[in-house]
Amino acid sequence: MNKVLISVLGSDQPGIIARVSDIIKQHNGNIENLSQTLLDTVFGALLQVELADADSAEALQTALEAACQDMDLFIRVHPWREGSSDWHQHKAAAQPYIVTAIGPDRQGLVAEIAAQLYQHGVNITHIQAIFKGGSNPMDNLMVFEVDVPKDTVMQALRDALTEIATRLDLEISVQHRKIFDSVSSIVN
Amino acid sequence: MLNPKDIISTLQMVREENLDLRTVTVGINLTDCVSDDINTFKSRVYDKITRTAGQLVATCERIERRYGIEVANKRISVSPIGVVGAPFNSEQMVEIALTLDKAALELGVDFVGGFSALVEKGMSRGDQALIDAIPQALTESQRVCSSVNVASTRAGLNMDAIKRMGVVVKQAADMTAEDDGLAAAKLVVFANIPQDVPFMAGAYLGIGEADAVVSVGVSGPGVVKAALERAINEQQDMDLSRAADVIKQTAARLTRAGELVGREVAESLGLPFGIVDLSLAPTPNENDSVGEIFEAVGLPAIGAPGSTAFLAMLNDAVKKGGAFASSHVGGLSGAFIPVCEDLTIADSAANGTLSLEKLEAMTAVCSVGLDMIALPGDTSAEMLSAVMADEMAIGVINKKTTAARLIPAPGKKAGDHVVFGGLLGEGPVMAVNMGEQENRFVRLGGRIPAPIQSLVN
Repeated sequence: MNKVLISVLGSDQPGIIARVSDIIKQHNGNIENLSQTLLDTVFGALLQVELADADSAEALQTALEAACQDMDLFIRVHPWREGSSDWHQHKAAAQPYIVTAIGPDRQGLVAEIAAQLYQHGVNITHIQAIFKGGSNPMDNLMVFEVDVPKDTVMQALRDALTEIATRLDLEISVQHRKIFDSVSSIVN
Repeated sequence: MLNPKDIISTLQMVREENLDLRTVTVGINLTDCVSDDINTFKSRVYDKITRTAGQLVATCERIERRYGIEVANKRISVSPIGVVGAPFNSEQMVEIALTLDKAALELGVDFVGGFSALVEKGMSRGDQALIDAIPQALTESQRVCSSVNVASTRAGLNMDAIKRMGVVVKQAADMTAEDDGLAAAKLVVFANIPQDVPFMAGAYLGIGEADAVVSVGVSGPGVVKAALERAINEQQDMDLSRAADVIKQTAARLTRAGELVGREVAESLGLPFGIVDLSLAPTPNENDSVGEIFEAVGLPAIGAPGSTAFLAMLNDAVKKGGAFASSHVGGLSGAFIPVCEDLTIADSAANGTLSLEKLEAMTAVCSVGLDMIALPGDTSAEMLSAVMADEMAIGVINKKTTAARLIPAPGKKAGDHVVFGGLLGEGPVMAVNMGEQENRFVRLGGRIPAPIQSLVN
């Protein structure tokens, strides 16, 4: 077991995945999982890779940096021990909710909401911002996909978020994910 | 990870386009409450309703918060009282209506339906007593709704019952003259009444249904209008094939929201889930109007030539979308065109672009019928019956549900304005051709035979 986590950040351009994966292949590594995202023009990727026993994170990082040096990327390779954190191992049963904040972008918006989610034991599984500007409130939207543990008191969470909404002049709603899935998807 | 487009469109449906669950209706079978002692019967009925649906309002409120969707009304429907209350006379029938009202009040539900009789072929003693009791029952109760099925495709039209209902509707309106005839707004006459309608005033629990069942009525004319407007903006050359697709897809989404909530309420109450009735049921508010959908596709107003064609497509597309999204679609499922409950339809009726005759034509292709129509107070009972008979004939021949909810507003004449309040809305008094005259055709009584099922030209 010689696993590494690779993060690749930089300006989006063709060939990033091609070069990174080629170097991993040359090192006899196997990509076990990966996720890539684009934030406007910024590229970000996270890869879980199993390396050959004799290989090392440092060697792979050096090879990747050399191969991609004309692409102006930030590449980090970390040794990674499989096995979950305490939180993962003792994760409480949870329900998926969607928290949406509608209204103008404000400094501290994410921090305030995230702090209250954290205080109520809620884990953010995905977060995305849809800020197009303009006067249409639906063009200024933060979406937090979260897992709410069973022992979280929903009303207390709602009250805390309502307080933020009032203070920051936002509209915050907390809805079970099933309503979005039901309405958007034909298959159950 | 959810697609941002899906998140936004779901939020828009709820926030801006008036997607609501119009009603969660618990159907309660009262056949095991029967007794020939009125007090025993009343107490069994009250106990069964309050026991079965005791948690309905609290459950709906909890699920509203969970999904962020409003459940506008919580309702009860019961077995037809004309059947389960068959031993009782009309005074006792009024007592039963008041017992239903008391149970509704106790539970905090908005309406209770099922003060009903099924008389398409003939009237039993109980049906007769119930029909006699309707005017007083609807005057003295607040939340009770009544329906009478007077015709069906298999039985034809019971013209004796239709003749009687003209008188009953007029009495009901006259007894609530100070409220523009409000009692008549809680009374509807049907052909081919479905057994599982969650919408009022026609909700009752059919004899073939379970002991108790949860059904959901979903609305959302505003959502359909917004979807069509978006499609037109995005695609300048949108044709009606594409419009039908947009309506179908929107109907499917609305239905799925309804089924999700309905099943969850049913599970919480420990009751089986019945059906989703996706009906574009307007409220007297902007952005919640069926009439506005007509304008969104380019008709000058609902009632203009072309309205029947578009309504046919709308009604059909809503049914197709609903049937695709859920295996248990029932009730009326389609588009309602109630005059007083819809701002735009009421406007069209007030300014003369929509006449009673055009409405009648449109009901041949809508999902209910002549709904929430205020008529002059001097309309004769016979003419009311005749309007009903015309409407029932459309349903019987076309093998569909039709209904008539007519309110002859006491003291009002064509063009006057009536106000019923709440979801029942307000609107103009519509003219009835020769409305104050007698009508000897109705006086003939008897039955119009069931139609032939072949030679369908």
